[in-house]
Amino acid sequence: MKFLFADTADTVDPAFDFERTRSPRQRRVHDDDHYPHEHLIRAPYDGILLSRAAFSDHRRSGKYGAARSMRFRREGARTFLRYPEAEFPGSIVMGDCGAFSYRDADAPLYTVDDTLSFYADGGFTHGCSVDHLIFDFFTDNREPSEEARRRQEITLTLAADFYRTSVALGKRFTPMGAIQGWSPASMADAAVDLVKMGYRSLALGGMARSPTDDIELALKAINERLGASKVAIHVLGFGKVEDAPRLKRLGVTSFDTTSPLLRAFKDDRQNYFYADGNRLGHYTAVRIPQAADDRHARASAKARTVGQEELIRLERIALGAVRAYASGEGELEQTVDRIIDYVSVVLWKDKKSEKSNTAEFAKLRSIYLRSLGERPWERCDCRVCHELGVEALIFRSTNHNKRRGFHNLAVFHSLLKSQAKVSP
Amino acid sequence: MKTIKLGPVLQLEQSSAVPVVVFRATASEILSIARIERADRREDGRLVGFQRPQIQAHINEIQDYLDEDEAPILPNAIVLGFCGGVSIKSDVLVVDGGSVPPGWVVDGQQRLTAATRTQNQDFPLLVSAFLCRSVAELHKQFILINSTRPLPRDLIYELMPGVEGLPPRLSDRTAAALLVEALNYREGSPLKGMIKQHTNRAGVIKDTLIQRVLMASLSDGALSAWRDDTSLLLGPGYAMVANFFSALRQVFADDWEGHTPKTSRLVHGVGLVAMGYVMDALAFDREARSKDDFVAGLEPLVGRTAFRSGEWEFTDQRRLWNTLQNTGADYQLLATHLVSLVRRPRGLRLASDR
Ligand SMILES: [Zn+2]
Repeated sequence: MKFLFADTADTVDPAFDFERTRSPRQRRVHDDDHYPHEHLIRAPYDGILLSRAAFSDHRRSGKYGAARSMRFRREGARTFLRYPEAEFPGSIVMGDCGAFSYRDADAPLYTVDDTLSFYADGGFTHGCSVDHLIFDFFTDNREPSEEARRRQEITLTLAADFYRTSVALGKRFTPMGAIQGWSPASMADAAVDLVKMGYRSLALGGMARSPTDDIELALKAINERLGASKVAIHVLGFGKVEDAPRLKRLGVTSFDTTSPLLRAFKDDRQNYFYADGNRLGHYTAVRIPQAADDRHARASAKARTVGQEELIRLERIALGAVRAYASGEGELEQTVDRIIDYVSVVLWKDKKSEKSNTAEFAKLRSIYLRSLGERPWERCDCRVCHELGVEALIFRSTNHNKRRGFHNLAVFHSLLKSQAKVSP
Repeated sequence: MKTIKLGPVLQLEQSSAVPVVVFRATASEILSIARIERADRREDGRLVGFQRPQIQAHINEIQDYLDEDEAPILPNAIVLGFCGGVSIKSDVLVVDGGSVPPGWVVDGQQRLTAATRTQNQDFPLLVSAFLCRSVAELHKQFILINSTRPLPRDLIYELMPGVEGLPPRLSDRTAAALLVEALNYREGSPLKGMIKQHTNRAGVIKDTLIQRVLMASLSDGALSAWRDDTSLLLGPGYAMVANFFSALRQVFADDWEGHTPKTSRLVHGVGLVAMGYVMDALAFDREARSKDDFVAGLEPLVGRTAFRSGEWEFTDQRRLWNTLQNTGADYQLLATHLVSLVRRPRGLRLASDR
């Protein structure tokens, strides 16, 4: 089972100065930055999924601005992402239309023709047909909404058109039929239709926010209807990375997610991964937001009538304590106390009572005692932990947090590989 | 706390009511007699302090300058205001060391903060201090001192290329400013005198628009190859841009000569920005550099444009020529269209191509 990383311009600056928490003055965004496969010793995925939604055009702006998006079309994905086939043999570069981004529109934002030019320009190895998201998911035999039916019809009509036209891209391109449905049975119907059109590769859509149990039901129904036909199945936007092994048992050949990266800065607690035997374990990164730059830190300090200079002083002490502890100089308990001194100013929540704030900080204290006490950065051999040490476990600048995301990707990917070895 | 003495001071006889002195001090000496107090409201609604918040990026710039330049100078003074707590005794400023420093930093807080962080802690700063009788007087001085108007942007852009000792790696803005100057004033330039700048009000094309075109190419297009070397940028870099515009003027003479942005969308922001991407596409696909290369590359566009009349047929909409505006969306709409006409997506023949 292949794991594809869904890129949304997630890079780090290799020359970032952690001491001063800033990039060098001459840094050029994108050109000087590193994608995960450039930064880590091994690529932490088997391929990259690029969505059209990441690129700006006349309909909307994406994470990659106008000039960069025009450049993407000129250079193609491999050059743009610095992900050459020669260096990453067998890797996949998959495209899709980012149906979620136009979910509220009447019809898909893109046509079959302009999607194929996008795939052709990008030099994609795989590309999904143009689809329209269906939100409903019923496990009983309820009648679907008119809208759900309409959207499935659009998706299938465009898929037929897409398959026919995609022949123009030649044998090196694998067209993927997007499955949209409102129930396991309707998804299975769609899958059968797509295979009849000629697709040998399907992409299950619209399940990005679904529980794994629902995805399992859908996959079982699809497998049953497809029977012996040899079809590759990709699951689009899989969120519950802990459940990834379950996908393999259901015949999924690939899936994409951005979750290990996002978890590093969107999850309050489970934001630093490690391999706990054959399973995914978590630590909690230590929050030391930037006193001078972090809007929330400043607002919170102001509410507590702590001046900016005082805030900067507390920040410096907390950072210094963590770094000293990591290098073997300080004591664990005192280090955590210095962090809590700072954190109890910047993470204070005005809406909550004094009591609940205090309780929260006591909880954080015991969490941080574990995170720092077990020194997980010393047990990881990824470049991030190797190079940064404890800094990888500090929740601070984008460069801290995205690097931790890269580490998460590396842990997740190697766990997936080792699980594949263990289970048949 | 003990009394602090700084000096010698030079006392200026500007006003009998508000004594003004100047002297030298290090950043830490200044902070021992004055504080940076940011504007805020106490719980009772009373206004205290008057400084704006620190601007980290600005402080970083100054700190870099102090740390990295060979001979940094900060000739403008840090201005301090006092209402009591201080006296002048025979060329020396005597400051009562109460529980807090009695003075306020009225101007130069970003410079001062940068100086506290620089490696050279002994860096001497010029200090100018005035002694008010009331806080109201102090606020008035603060407003007067800080209400100067910044230089107009177009003048700053125009001054940029002349500044010696630019950082080794030019910013795209500076590089674009260098090229704009060359395009507007070099003999033989196809855009000579056409770019509207602070010193050339008669220009037809706004300098910021040409800069936009050049910056896109510098960051993500053909000009990026030369962006780190001024002489290459002004040599082959300039030559490529000039050749492209010469070709454009020749191929689209009817849409260009004698026109203004109102009468032709080619000399309007939307045409120029889109054509900038066409230049990059031709430079990338055909390795176009000479005027002839570009003339040949532009050929597929002839007869398929609507710069002065008629309407555009885009893949998903039709637009009357004069409805295209200076917006990011329209820039990309026209750019994608023109670029798709001059180049063929790799290995693709679409059903809609006839
Ligand atoms: Zn690691």
